[in-house]
Amino acid sequence: MRLRLLLFVLLPSLLAAQSIAELQKSFEKKVTEFTLANGLHFIVVERHDAPVVSFHTYVNVGSVDDPGGQTGLAHMFEHMAFKGTPTIGTRNWPAEKAAMDAVEQVYDRLDAERNKGPHADPNKMAAISNELAAAMEKADSYVEPNEYDRVVESNGGQDMNASTAEDSTNYFYSFPSNRIELWFLLESSRFLNPVFREFYKERDVVREERRMRVESSSQGKLIEALAATAYAAHPYRNMPGGWASDIDHFRRPDAEKFYKQYYVPANITLGIAGDVSPSEARRLAEKYFGRLVARPLPSQYRTVEPVQEGEKIASVSSPAQPFVIIAYKRPDRHSPDDAALAVLDSVLSDGRTGIIYKDMVRDKQMALGAGSDAEFPGGKYPSLFLFFVAPSSGHTSEENEKELDRIIQQVKTTKVDDETLQRVKTKLRAALIRKLDSNAGLASELCSYYVAYGDWRKLFTELDDYNKVTADDVERVANTYLVKEHRTVTYTYVPDAGAEKEGAK
Amino acid sequence: MTRRVAFLAVLLASVGMAQTVPSYKQLVYPPLKQVKIPEPATFTLKNGMRVLLLEDHELPLINGLALIRTGNLFDPPDKRGLSSVMADVLRSGGASAKTGDQIDEELENIAASVESSMGETSASITFNGLKETAGTVLGIFKSVMTDPEFRQDKIDLTISQSHSGIDRRNDDAQGIAEREISSILYGRDNSYGWNIEHADLARIHREDLQEFYHRYYFPKNIMLEVYGDFSTADMKEQLEKLFADWSPEQPPVPPFPPVTAKPAPGVYLAEKSDVTQTFFSMGLLGGTLRDPDYPALEVAVHILGSGFTSRLMSQIRTKMGLAYSIGAGWGASYDHPGTFRIVGSTKSPSTADAILAARAELEKMRTAEVSEQELKTAKDAVLNGFVFFFDSPAKILLRVLTYQYFGYPNDFLFEYQKKVAAVTRADVLRVMQQHIDPANLSIVGVGNPKDFGKPLNDIGKVEKIDLSIPPMPAVMVPVK
Repeated sequence: MRLRLLLFVLLPSLLAAQSIAELQKSFEKKVTEFTLANGLHFIVVERHDAPVVSFHTYVNVGSVDDPGGQTGLAHMFEHMAFKGTPTIGTRNWPAEKAAMDAVEQVYDRLDAERNKGPHADPNKMAAISNELAAAMEKADSYVEPNEYDRVVESNGGQDMNASTAEDSTNYFYSFPSNRIELWFLLESSRFLNPVFREFYKERDVVREERRMRVESSSQGKLIEALAATAYAAHPYRNMPGGWASDIDHFRRPDAEKFYKQYYVPANITLGIAGDVSPSEARRLAEKYFGRLVARPLPSQYRTVEPVQEGEKIASVSSPAQPFVIIAYKRPDRHSPDDAALAVLDSVLSDGRTGIIYKDMVRDKQMALGAGSDAEFPGGKYPSLFLFFVAPSSGHTSEENEKELDRIIQQVKTTKVDDETLQRVKTKLRAALIRKLDSNAGLASELCSYYVAYGDWRKLFTELDDYNKVTADDVERVANTYLVKEHRTVTYTYVPDAGAEKEGAK
Repeated sequence: MTRRVAFLAVLLASVGMAQTVPSYKQLVYPPLKQVKIPEPATFTLKNGMRVLLLEDHELPLINGLALIRTGNLFDPPDKRGLSSVMADVLRSGGASAKTGDQIDEELENIAASVESSMGETSASITFNGLKETAGTVLGIFKSVMTDPEFRQDKIDLTISQSHSGIDRRNDDAQGIAEREISSILYGRDNSYGWNIEHADLARIHREDLQEFYHRYYFPKNIMLEVYGDFSTADMKEQLEKLFADWSPEQPPVPPFPPVTAKPAPGVYLAEKSDVTQTFFSMGLLGGTLRDPDYPALEVAVHILGSGFTSRLMSQIRTKMGLAYSIGAGWGASYDHPGTFRIVGSTKSPSTADAILAARAELEKMRTAEVSEQELKTAKDAVLNGFVFFFDSPAKILLRVLTYQYFGYPNDFLFEYQKKVAAVTRADVLRVMQQHIDPANLSIVGVGNPKDFGKPLNDIGKVEKIDLSIPPMPAVMVPVK
């Protein structure tokens, strides 16, 4: 019986190693890469089954690059990248440009008055504010609203959007494959010559986005508190959305300066997947993206997070039902322990066989949901291995925290059995195969692996890293990183129950 | 003026670079390659189950979906939630020979999955796995579908989780707005609009699950699609063999109860103290995809509130800066009136301003024709994006299955394409006037009225929504 089980478990993995190498070989035939003289890198994947193409622009800049006092600026630029160019989005560019510059001049006067602090003249401020509103209205009167979006949409563009994370900013959509040239034209133009029109209206929109995602969500507030508490110095302490007061004071020149510093060709990778000819892609890339001028790469140096000297705790008072996040410091994704941490994460919380689900959700029923995440909020810099729990009704956050501690103790002292380890590896392999099924997914994944590791093939070869992970490795990384002194415990609590919680701690 | 700008742009672009680039307006596109639309193989098993198969050999995967003609709409009124609990435990409660936990391990050992779920007007059981494990996955899929054990421990788990879910249902403001607008539009006496309460769950027992299962899960009431890396002939044979010993019969399932609600237009407010935005949803009962005006309504509501170029987006987000998220959808359903909705969120002080601005945009759509450019953008978006309906075998097969399930003609989408192409500005005005009267809107706001700039009374008489969650009746509290 035992032997049969063992065979059953081993067999798929032998097949696995073989088929992944084969899969990579056949996949490689579909991939073409090239770098333009200005440093822009392109990865093209041919999939000709349907006449559609997905595009992904991966910019190696994120909220970690936000200047001090201007958190959220990378995100603000992301919004501005949809505002058009001197030829897209305007009714009269020379007049619009003059009006936009006039706005800045008035705004400079307003800031000059405001900078006087207690000596600022409120009447003068009010007068300049009125002037500013009029100047903005004039500039806006030249705008052809949302033209950039309209061109994409009316040409059948799908799922156009963008996102800003801690490590990267991403722009993406799909077109029918006869409209490939339009993407080259539009995408190159917005990074060649973006116009930051309607900047201050969009600043309000960005502020609303923060209200929606963070301020009006107890979990949003908790995650923000987690980052701000776990990190003392590294910019992972700020969420990509930024702090409210920083957003309120963005100026257009700030965003322009940021763009010039970070949107340099060598910092941008473009993924194209679908019904596309690589030679045609190359020709169009030279024609349209060749216009971007090479500039030096920005500095990658960020304040290094100092070693945490003891457990940290933060809480958020909220009428919502409780939620707990516990986060442990871990190294960045280039650490030799990265694969073992990914396997540990999977052992703990993947699917219905993860230890946490089986114990806390299924058997003890103390949690409505619970799990882990090996890498939060990013992977470029040392990050967090976190655990989260939504306690069931009638069960407290404390008992869930205790149970999590017990499980962590268990993985530190008991080796993972072979069946579990093998299952996790099989699942990681299957997850890779499933990733190859979507143009949009491929365009995005290949870019991010290329940027993170210097080679998109890491998408395949990281399976070798996973396959090498042993039960000893899993136990070792649990002992190395899941230590109390290096953790941050955060939770929401219902105000009335707060006193009780304090007492229990 | 326009020409001067274009001239300047060309001049600017040509300075300091080898190649000049055209304006997007000058691009000429080659005709789109013919789309290959594979035809699924369809047949009926000996036991009466309808099957659709589609080969897709790109990756070594196999996937399936069984649609069962049942839904939340068949929940007994005193046991709301029964069908969903049943669908959950159908999978977790295991089969006669294996517990659900054993099935979990067996599936995950081969990176496969089998899942069961319940919707308003259909239930589903899905599976997927690697090609090399197809036999095992299909075997488990079959035992989940045909031989559920509904073990008590897993019924208890699902019920306990559902209780916790009820306790958490007021934590998300957006969720409250969506739930409450549905209740107002569909009424609270049917599953489109009711809430499942603690007391309902307390009345659900194992026999109820078994009874519900036996009534609806029988071969003639099931349509199965399978797609992936297999040969059609082999799969057909495999399925015949697999289901040869399963042939229970039941009387045909009656039609779903019709929507009879008479929504009360008005302004409804749910108070939530811990938000800085008000989430709002404004809606009225709409129609089905069979409605002759459906294509024109889709175009019209697209212009009003779909994507980044819509009027709602242009006005309330881009021009006024009042919202990050704002949009509208006609929301037609296949077999019952759907709901037209405008959904958005704005900072508390601008609540009334944003709602009034949205209503004003709606009113404008009914008083003057849209511009030729707006009409063209909306139609082009559908027509140029049409190919995306066919960009994967999975999408193609699911659409065929859905049309068959709801009794739509196979060429429905192509008819829709033709009708969209024919929509005129006059059509848009007519369908807006005929189908979307702002006087009929129910408006739900979820937010913190302490911080509202203007009271909601400026919009209409406000009725408060009671969000309190009815506790479990004392006699029903289970002894643990």
